[in-house]
Amino acid sequence: MRKLANYLWVEQNEDEFTFIMTPELQDDIGTVGYVEFIANDGDQIEKDQAILNLEASKTVLELQAPLAGTITAINKAAEEAPEQLNSEKAEASWVYKMTGVDQAAYDQLPEA
Amino acid sequence: MDKALKTAIHYLWDHQNESSHAQKAFTESLKRAGTVLADGTLNLASITDENDRWAIFRGLVNVRDSYQPSEEYLMAEGAVLQAKLGSAATPVLWQESQLNQRIFLWQGDITRLKVDAIVNAANKDGLGCFIPNHHCIDNTIHTMAGAQVRTDMALALNGRKLPVGKVIVTKAYNLPAKFIFHTVGPVIYKEPVSKMNQDLLASCYLNSLKEADARGLSTIAFCSISTGEFHFPKALARDIAIQTVQDYLKETDSSLQVVFNVFLDEDLALYQKVLIN
Repeated sequence: MRKLANYLWVEQNEDEFTFIMTPELQDDIGTVGYVEFIANDGDQIEKDQAILNLEASKTVLELQAPLAGTITAINKAAEEAPEQLNSEKAEASWVYKMTGVDQAAYDQLPEA
Repeated sequence: MDKALKTAIHYLWDHQNESSHAQKAFTESLKRAGTVLADGTLNLASITDENDRWAIFRGLVNVRDSYQPSEEYLMAEGAVLQAKLGSAATPVLWQESQLNQRIFLWQGDITRLKVDAIVNAANKDGLGCFIPNHHCIDNTIHTMAGAQVRTDMALALNGRKLPVGKVIVTKAYNLPAKFIFHTVGPVIYKEPVSKMNQDLLASCYLNSLKEADARGLSTIAFCSISTGEFHFPKALARDIAIQTVQDYLKETDSSLQVVFNVFLDEDLALYQKVLIN
């Protein structure tokens, strides 16, 4: 099951939460040409904190964190190959993984 | 010929950059018009029409790089722009909305508005319009405020792009307004407009209102963001604009006065329908 918040999918695997590009977001922004990960590994992030800058064919966009928690992984491969954020495969188009998330906050998000 | 205009034009001409595509193209158009002499200088004496001289000045301003202009240039430019700008539009000319007595409607050129902040519909590069004499609002605001605005934006952005829905503030220099709020609306490629793009348009308004209050301003004027070359459907854009402003005024203790500035008769009619009846 996936949730949707701040235009990103949030997928839970036990205590780890992965933020993934949605097809609607990919469609809205076009081909990603540049990605800047604002948050670093280990950072404590508030909900709605800016975490990602995307420069794509249709727009330049700043995205905010769907949930509060601690960053545990960043899809650094996308810095070299930004177009993989347009992939329909989540293993290519994820952006961050996070732990320390309040389960109730996740449960309250709308389903994707 | 007016000395200040001549000084400004020659300064801009002498500070052209050979690698700039926009500047090369504009120079070519001036050559075709016979305005460039064999030694590469401008033959301004041959331009007798006041509008033609203005168009050369404006075109050179539009294509210029974001270097810091000299004091001498800024003095000359100030004289040129003040003469061109004419009288400002003050609150007595605004139409009060029936929805809220702090919301107003005004039709006209936004560069004439005497408010604390005018909102510019910028593009993602944030440096103003580079098309010579293009009559978009971004071009008009940058031209009439002065060359310093592009320089300030380049410094603020430092090579980055301006994300959609965010706001960067510069002074308004030669305009009657105090500040320019530069914001980028979403570009619409297909309808219906996605939720994200509707939210992003609302962010342009909301972030501008918050910025105005954070700076303790009293008046702000919005243009119809995204509805021109960015193709946002006009009626939906109007509804988002008015709703966002109304909600903000209701839900915060803001005492801002908000002007919806329209330019076209079509946009005036759209806003009148909701604001005035």
